[in-house]
Amino acid sequence: MTPAAFDYARPDSVAAALALLHPNAQLLAGGQSFVPMLVRRAARPALVIDINRIPGLAQIELLPGTIRMGALVRLEQARCSDLVKSELAVLAAALEWVGNPVIRRRGTVVGNLVMNAPGAELPAVAVALGAKFLIRTRDGNTTTNPAHQALPGGSMVTHVLWPRQTGCGGFHEVSRRDGHVGVVSAAVSQNRDDSREDIRAEIRVGLSGICATGLACQAVARVIAAAQPAAPELRALAEALRADIGDRPLYGDLQAPIKYRLQVAPEVIRRAAHSMQAGTA
Amino acid sequence: MAPACTEPLIDVAMTVDGARIAGRVRPRYLLSDFLREAAGAASVHIGCGQGLCGACTVAVDGVPVRACLMLAAQADECRVQTVASLNVLEGYNGAGLTPLQNSFREHHALQCGFCTPGLLVSTAIFLAENPRPARRAILQHLNGHLCRCTGYANIIAAIEAVAP
Repeated sequence: MTPAAFDYARPDSVAAALALLHPNAQLLAGGQSFVPMLVRRAARPALVIDINRIPGLAQIELLPGTIRMGALVRLEQARCSDLVKSELAVLAAALEWVGNPVIRRRGTVVGNLVMNAPGAELPAVAVALGAKFLIRTRDGNTTTNPAHQALPGGSMVTHVLWPRQTGCGGFHEVSRRDGHVGVVSAAVSQNRDDSREDIRAEIRVGLSGICATGLACQAVARVIAAAQPAAPELRALAEALRADIGDRPLYGDLQAPIKYRLQVAPEVIRRAAHSMQAGTA
Repeated sequence: MAPACTEPLIDVAMTVDGARIAGRVRPRYLLSDFLREAAGAASVHIGCGQGLCGACTVAVDGVPVRACLMLAAQADECRVQTVASLNVLEGYNGAGLTPLQNSFREHHALQCGFCTPGLLVSTAIFLAENPRPARRAILQHLNGHLCRCTGYANIIAAIEAVAP
């Protein structure tokens, strides 16, 4: 297969990449989702800006209370990182489910989050952990945005900031086959704040595969918190999920229709909550 | 206003299995096509063309990648190794088939052979990085490769035999 025609640029700095951006230009990092879109001609940019050789974007760094990952940190690099295993166990657990080892060697964490595909694992984790994008705009400003929200035009994500995980977390997913894109995935995390007595309020739930992008589920989180330390009831989870969805459009495709996704989601959440309670992540 | 696309040709040069290959390519020219057409590496099999099957897997600077998910322009000045470099990837200096190839033959781990070159490249790298893999790790490794002939059991046996 051959993509539609485009021009190609390989800038060596973030500033140079930003200077090239225009509404019909696309940034290319790992390309494990974007190149399939190019060859299927689902994406037809006039210009592809390859950021792979921009130095300084491939580090995972521990800052006070935060883990900062550059836009070129590969999925497998993050999965194998001791820092991620110790400080972001939910992310480490979720990365096991992303693609396969060869795809993970090339695909990037930021790219996975930016694509925000339905059923993708990392947007759910970003919601549960409250990850933020560090965004550079063309006029040289740097802003932050929740990592599951759409990007402002003419900007580039240079890093993702993960708040250090302070409590247990859990992740679960249902997919058609191992290594295939998830149907529904759920990430649950519990932030322990020793200065507060009621830790139950700190539970956060991110869900992927129900709406087109990652969904924050406050009502579901309250159900899990209220049931602690027991497992939440499936019926209560399903009702809370309905409340969290509100009037957002639901997502379905040939892989799994909306009806199945809604049916399986409470069980996926329950299992993620169970892993959290068992302290596995 | 977005500038129109002019698609100028790009000069690329890379090492493919030890030989320097240079060419002028369109930006949209995929690495898999470059390897087959410009470098004559017919072992780079194009299966699905969208990163699902793993047949086109090659090593770029020592890292296994899907050649169909990389632009030829992206591999500029890189070292590309196909299955023709399997002895290098396995660190095997002898003659004839490499230990991994031999094991595939002995265990009937291939039939039509379409998935085999990509599978051998990524398995050689996998074993170099995990000399004693658990069975679960082998299964996870095989996630990235579709084989429609063997049912995988013989491939697993072949890999386990070279990594006891």
